[in-house]
Amino acid sequence: MSQGHDNPIHHPEVQMSSSRGYFTGFLISLGLMFLATFLVASGSMPPFGLLMVITICAAITVIAQIYFLLHLDISEHNIWNTVSLVLFIPLFIITIGLTWWMFSQLYLRTMPMMPGMGMH
Amino acid sequence: MSAHSSTDPKTAVLWDTHDHGHDVISTRTFGFFLYLLSDGMIFATLFAAYGVLSYSHSYAAGPTPASFVHPWYTFLQTVALFLSVLAYGMGMGGLKRGSKSGLLSGLLAAFVLGVVFLGLDIHDMMDLADHGITIMTSGGTSAFIFLTQTHAAHIFFGLVWIAVMILQVMIQGFTTDTVGRLLSLRMFWHMQAIIWVFVYIFVYLWGYMS
Repeated sequence: MSQGHDNPIHHPEVQMSSSRGYFTGFLISLGLMFLATFLVASGSMPPFGLLMVITICAAITVIAQIYFLLHLDISEHNIWNTVSLVLFIPLFIITIGLTWWMFSQLYLRTMPMMPGMGMH
Repeated sequence: MSAHSSTDPKTAVLWDTHDHGHDVISTRTFGFFLYLLSDGMIFATLFAAYGVLSYSHSYAAGPTPASFVHPWYTFLQTVALFLSVLAYGMGMGGLKRGSKSGLLSGLLAAFVLGVVFLGLDIHDMMDLADHGITIMTSGGTSAFIFLTQTHAAHIFFGLVWIAVMILQVMIQGFTTDTVGRLLSLRMFWHMQAIIWVFVYIFVYLWGYMS
């Protein structure tokens, strides 16, 4: 993070953009989103299996976008961006997961069970 | 930092006495990346709120996403946003070659496609309001609308930023300031596509399934 550059065009963060990488990321993302939309709209799978499949679609899409669009890898120039993202992920999951878990337990113990009620 | 056996401890210099300065662009983009991660925490709290407010009792016997989400309509928004991100990336390919026209055409295409995304979103929200589904309807619709519209607000400010950058590059050309801002805006715009994957899969599609 300390090399100087007179011409900003030659900065490594400019030079690491890759049109082919962006196009690959775009095709992977759009293909998986199309698959998820098609499966959900046609409703041909049982809900739990469908949820698992679209979760996997989302996970692959996000990983592809982080790699191809944000250029996060372990190269010398990007390592600190990657480290901060890796440290961020547990915070993100804990914030959502713990809140969700606490309220689902609360509802389970305090709400009258209605037909059709369940984890959404 | 490697210890050389030839270094004489009596004359060794333990610190660097000259200021080499910081790489201005990298310092700014790294700071902006940390801001984007904290912005991600805003979405984490909104996803958590949607999670606890998407039980059937949260909709107060009113409409649920299963009745008002149209997967293929929202898929069009996904296509528009991903194309916009791709166009911005192609513009950055122009910057890499030092081509002003390549960068500006990429930014312009990204702007137009972003407007398409926002237009589809606003049309969707107006349609919901026409059917009496607003942020006031129930806790579930509050969480749904607030989460999706927070993302739309990010897109709006991203569009303002893209417009500003088009003007700045036209007037100032490629300077350390404008190139650094273009790099930060690239991260911002690409981050919105990543957040949208979560919003689309876990709010729109999962809500439609439930």
